[in-house]
Amino acid sequence: MKRWDLIVIGTGLAGLTAARTAIEMGAKVLIIGRGMGSVTLFGNTIDVLGCIPPETDMEEGITRWIATNPHHPYARTGWAGIAESLSAFRGLFPPPYTFDTVGSGNSLVPTGAGTLRPTYLLPVTMTAGAGISEADTLIVGLKGFKDFQSDTVSLHLQCRGVNLSLPRYGLEGLTAIALARLMDEEPFRERLGEAIRHQMAGEKRIGLPAILGFRAPADVLKTLETVTGARVFEIPMLPPSIPGLRIFHRYREILIAKGATFLMGNPVTAAELKDGRCAGITVHNPPLSTVYRAESYVLATGRFLGGGLWADMERIAEPLFHLPIFQPESRGLWFRERFFQPEAHPIHRAGIVTDEYLRPVDAEGEVILKNVRAAGSILAHHQAIEEHSREGIDIATGDLAARRSLAS
Amino acid sequence: MTHTDEIPTPPRNLPDVCVRCATCMAVCPVSRVTPRFPGPKQAGPGAQRFRSASEASVDDWIELCTACRLCDTVCPTGVPISELNLMAKAKYLDERGRTFRDWLLVRSDLFGEWASRFSRIVNPLMKNRTIRWLLDKVLEIDRRRALPEYETPTFREWFSTRPAASEAAGRPRIAYFHGCFTNTNEVDVGKASVALLEAHGFSVIIPPQRCCGIPRLGVGDLRGAREMGLRNLSLLLPTVREGTDIVFSSTSCGLMLRHEYGPLLNLPGAEELAKRLFDICELLLRLREEGKQAVQFRPLPMRAAYFAPCHMKSLNIGLPALELLRCVPGLDIRLIEAECCGLGGLYGFKKEKYAITEEIGRDLAKEVARIDPEVILTDCEGCRMQIRQLTRRKVLHPVQLLRFSIDTHDKGERPLVRRQ
Ligand code: SF4
Ligand code: SF4
Repeated sequence: MKRWDLIVIGTGLAGLTAARTAIEMGAKVLIIGRGMGSVTLFGNTIDVLGCIPPETDMEEGITRWIATNPHHPYARTGWAGIAESLSAFRGLFPPPYTFDTVGSGNSLVPTGAGTLRPTYLLPVTMTAGAGISEADTLIVGLKGFKDFQSDTVSLHLQCRGVNLSLPRYGLEGLTAIALARLMDEEPFRERLGEAIRHQMAGEKRIGLPAILGFRAPADVLKTLETVTGARVFEIPMLPPSIPGLRIFHRYREILIAKGATFLMGNPVTAAELKDGRCAGITVHNPPLSTVYRAESYVLATGRFLGGGLWADMERIAEPLFHLPIFQPESRGLWFRERFFQPEAHPIHRAGIVTDEYLRPVDAEGEVILKNVRAAGSILAHHQAIEEHSREGIDIATGDLAARRSLAS
Repeated sequence: MTHTDEIPTPPRNLPDVCVRCATCMAVCPVSRVTPRFPGPKQAGPGAQRFRSASEASVDDWIELCTACRLCDTVCPTGVPISELNLMAKAKYLDERGRTFRDWLLVRSDLFGEWASRFSRIVNPLMKNRTIRWLLDKVLEIDRRRALPEYETPTFREWFSTRPAASEAAGRPRIAYFHGCFTNTNEVDVGKASVALLEAHGFSVIIPPQRCCGIPRLGVGDLRGAREMGLRNLSLLLPTVREGTDIVFSSTSCGLMLRHEYGPLLNLPGAEELAKRLFDICELLLRLREEGKQAVQFRPLPMRAAYFAPCHMKSLNIGLPALELLRCVPGLDIRLIEAECCGLGGLYGFKKEKYAITEEIGRDLAKEVARIDPEVILTDCEGCRMQIRQLTRRKVLHPVQLLRFSIDTHDKGERPLVRRQ
């Protein structure tokens, strides 16, 4: 029976990054997701630590953050680990569709709700949205496309908004995916650009919903900018995220091209444990259960939505390896009294506690399974939502988990 | 804060498990090209909440789901979306009644052998413009769709009349499920499969078999599909009970036999069959990885492109054909980055759906043009048919190319048409 060097469980950004690091190191890799993973849900841009002020240099900010949060996942990777893994991520996207920072720290980009959100790495299709000013920006929506309301966005951003109709294309009722696919066609986006140009009143930037194509988003951007004579940026919307899909497709493409085996659509239902190690895992595709074996395993199954953690009436549990979960003592303590408040709810810090090599440990700090490492949001002691650190944690710990797995 | 290791029970796969994350919308090939179909989120778990057995179906768009099952492979919570669609489609068509066209198309297995015998008459007729016009007008089988040609003799006839080199003493036996299309329309796929299996040291047997029944699922005919399944199980179980594995070369037949007979159709013995049933490339790759075979591939210096059929993604065994093809020296093999060919089996023959299948296929055709391969390889006959029509290029099953990479006397169909 085939033995892999590394089995990665989870196809979110943490799992994808772990698999990619391992395959670049020459390992035989199997990656398994029960679904497509969270990249299409949240992955529009790469947040690293959005809660620190925009003017702060990221290296400086992270270093201070680690000093005051010694249990945070970033304390395992350090700034060096973060910087290195982010640079490897950026290496996946050669010009013209690149991911870059604006300045040396966070920048604020508009969202589909009309708010501004801090983030770190932006695809080139979003950079013009960083630091917009009311007067010079026009927000463009499409008639009949309900996922993006240009009036809501423009109202909040206090700039002008318009809704275009392109009746010839029968756009009514098309999904974001269908629109993005049309954008890949040059005549279509040229026409859209023309229609936008007729609506402009001296604006220098145009904000569109994030539908600037799949295959060559930078080309879509270029056409629109040439036709309108303005800078164009896309604004993230509700899932499925098209910028996130671009990230997923790129990872999958590189992983398969380099020989990884990619399984998707069935859950890992059991793990075989022997002598303090994982000896194999079972994937269940009814009516068949198949066992896969590797030297090491990376658990990157995410939190509640991804299925990495389960909560019943009283407890939070990790269903596969039955790892202990750092969590509030009772359900009554999961949430603070007011639901919406700046401080995180205690439940958001729940997760798996590990040693410095990302191996899960018990209450006494003893390693539970020598060849299993945890990565991504399943880790304890972070509040990715409030910190705006989701993608940074995924990328940095996914990369570290793979390195540690192959080093041992 | 404390630690715990108690385990709650997993959620059941009900539509209520849908968290409305819309991941399925990212992959549905139909809602990607037309607003007439609302997409898996709405068609499956969304509408299911309002469906009841006692009330008439209202969603006529349910017929537009091609049953590609891509949505199932990406859902993070395991909603059986395509199965919900299938059930809704079955109910809708039960109420509305099926057309003569549907009745006829799903029985192609019955007239296939006959058409093969008279292929010299049937094939020209199928290309005849008047007949195509009639088929289009009367049966609504789109005249733009190239109909597959029939071949004489059939694969079974060829196999039964060839010299019995196969039953060499001491060789492990392997059974081959060829499926209808290989038998009557693409005999060379069967010949190549036999050649490859024999080159790997097997003695090949061809058990009696019927159509797997997946075309009947396509028109929501669950009872018909069950009947086909029961017949196949009674024909195939004796083979697996004597300890012989079965391989298939047709992805969709394999998916039906392996994963629909049991979980969907609930047929007795389905699991027993599934455990001994393998995709042909899956089996050959496993032998290679276990070091159990000494077959050396000869160099084939050429550029090829591989397309992963939707149902291969549902089988969820990775891309064994691609991995095998990578073992051929000199072969420059690329993966076609497209989700779906668009044909959807018999779906793509129907006049009212032809435009949708063509539009879905355009993305694939563009990728092929970008790669500009000398040959395109894909495991599913539906995909091969569609890609031939979309690109006018040579399209083969991976085993047809691999056969040229081993030493064999059977030269079969040439994989190469060098374009100068
Ligand atoms: S992917 Fe699954 S959970 Fe998400 S909307 Fe579709 S059916 Fe619902
Ligand atoms: S089975 Fe295919 S066509 Fe049908 S809803 Fe799912 S993805 Fe769409």
